[in-house]
Amino acid sequence: MKRARILMLIAPVAVLIFLFIVLPYVTVLLMSFRAPADGQPYGAGFSVEGYRQFFSQNYYALSLPQTMGLGIVTSLVCLLLGYPVALHIATAPKRWRGLLYGIVLSPLLVGIVVRSYGWTILLGNAGVINTTLRNLGLIERPLPLMYNEFGVVLALAHVFLPFMVLPLLASLQTADPAVRQAARSLGAGRFTVFRRVTLPMSMPGIQSGCILVFVLAISSYVTPALVGGMRVKTTTLLVVDALIDQFQWPFGSAMALTLAISAGIVVLIFARLTRIRWS
Amino acid sequence: MGLVTPLLSLLRALVYVFLLAPIVVVVLASLNAGNFLTFPPQGLSLRWFWTFLNNDVFIDAIVYSLILAALATAVSLVLGTMAALYFVRHARREAEVVRIGVLLPLILPEILTAIALLFFFYEIGIGTQYKIALFTGHVLMTLPFVFLNVTTSLQGRDDAVELAARTLGASRMTAFRRITLPLIAPGMATGGVFAFIISFDTFGVSFILKGTGSAPLPIQLYDYLRFNFTPEAAAVSTVSILLTLVLVTLSNMLFGRD
Repeated sequence: MKRARILMLIAPVAVLIFLFIVLPYVTVLLMSFRAPADGQPYGAGFSVEGYRQFFSQNYYALSLPQTMGLGIVTSLVCLLLGYPVALHIATAPKRWRGLLYGIVLSPLLVGIVVRSYGWTILLGNAGVINTTLRNLGLIERPLPLMYNEFGVVLALAHVFLPFMVLPLLASLQTADPAVRQAARSLGAGRFTVFRRVTLPMSMPGIQSGCILVFVLAISSYVTPALVGGMRVKTTTLLVVDALIDQFQWPFGSAMALTLAISAGIVVLIFARLTRIRWS
Repeated sequence: MGLVTPLLSLLRALVYVFLLAPIVVVVLASLNAGNFLTFPPQGLSLRWFWTFLNNDVFIDAIVYSLILAALATAVSLVLGTMAALYFVRHARREAEVVRIGVLLPLILPEILTAIALLFFFYEIGIGTQYKIALFTGHVLMTLPFVFLNVTTSLQGRDDAVELAARTLGASRMTAFRRITLPLIAPGMATGGVFAFIISFDTFGVSFILKGTGSAPLPIQLYDYLRFNFTPEAAAVSTVSILLTLVLVTLSNMLFGRD
């Protein structure tokens, strides 16, 4: 009786997750093997036509390595920008920490559409940056900052930077500062302390931050759509196009699953590489 | 070495500017008096806020988003808190499965979850009708945030206090209301605010599952931005930023701990 009562606590969420996460993902898997059809989302019977369609057309197949590259570069940019900030917050005096933390988290309070829109105002041909540079006489024609990979990576890095800083911060804060001081007092230079003590200790944070940003970046839709102006074709954009606009569900599902599996492989390789080098 | 420290400080300062710039620029652009998003602005004015206030599409979208967020948050608060209570107090070997299960909507790519839900609801014959799929998507997206916050507020707390209350004759309900609820209230408040903001801002599930008829604000804004370049979109964005700020400030005042 008591056990039954306790199980009632978790039952609703268990049902919710099973019905609306597990079953729907199984549906996607099945859908990717269904036969295509004209005028309706899918036809009778099963086939691998969706996968064949994806890999036989360069327009689609080549978007995969491009998307992976975009995700990897975004992760690296976030790591490069996020690490000094995380280190700064972790070692800042307590009364500053709250404010800095707030600045890092603030983008999360603003919707992804609004933030991407902000970047289009900054990066456009008649945008803030180009106009300023032109008025200063530094350039004659606008720099191509938007509608290309550069703009998309920059905006994605902005959108997902908090997801890099938070795990970094968590791992840096658990590291005992006494270890750093000990290394210093034993004669290690600052750079050596960073390379031999701080960096290895923050490795779990680097790992989870990079994986998180990578996955979020390759599966994001709004930012590449608005800042890339549909000219940077990520696989996610093509998936949504196939599913929603072209109504080709088996093809779109096959593409989405191929993207997910490729992302999984990249994450595994990354996890493997970072483990070998540091521990 | 003498050069490294100032360079690092500069890089840090640039990152903070980088984080705030796109948000600040949207707010400034909404005050532009001109017809287009030109820079520098052609004078300051609130005319685009006025235009926006008279635009039923955006007003409807804001009201719609607020209602959707409130309903999704209410459901997530109840379900997420129950799951958190189970996870912290009763889960044994299955704890890790429970945790990952509840966090799945956060771990899986939102757009893929939305597509999966679309297929699922289509297969069971409902499709995007009655907004059930959309609502389910919003509950799923907000659930992990309630769970995480309530879990944090419960961990390290001794549930012996509630047991003591029970032994002293308090009913199950009284013990929960007088002992447990005050303990988890801050976690529920933070989780609720997070959930509300996530629902209000989320794009993927709304975009895929919106169906016909009214759509949440991020979707209307996105549709508008694809074909229009007036500062009205900036005014809408500014209002949405302000709404979030008000919510965060209010909850800090009501439940703030530091």
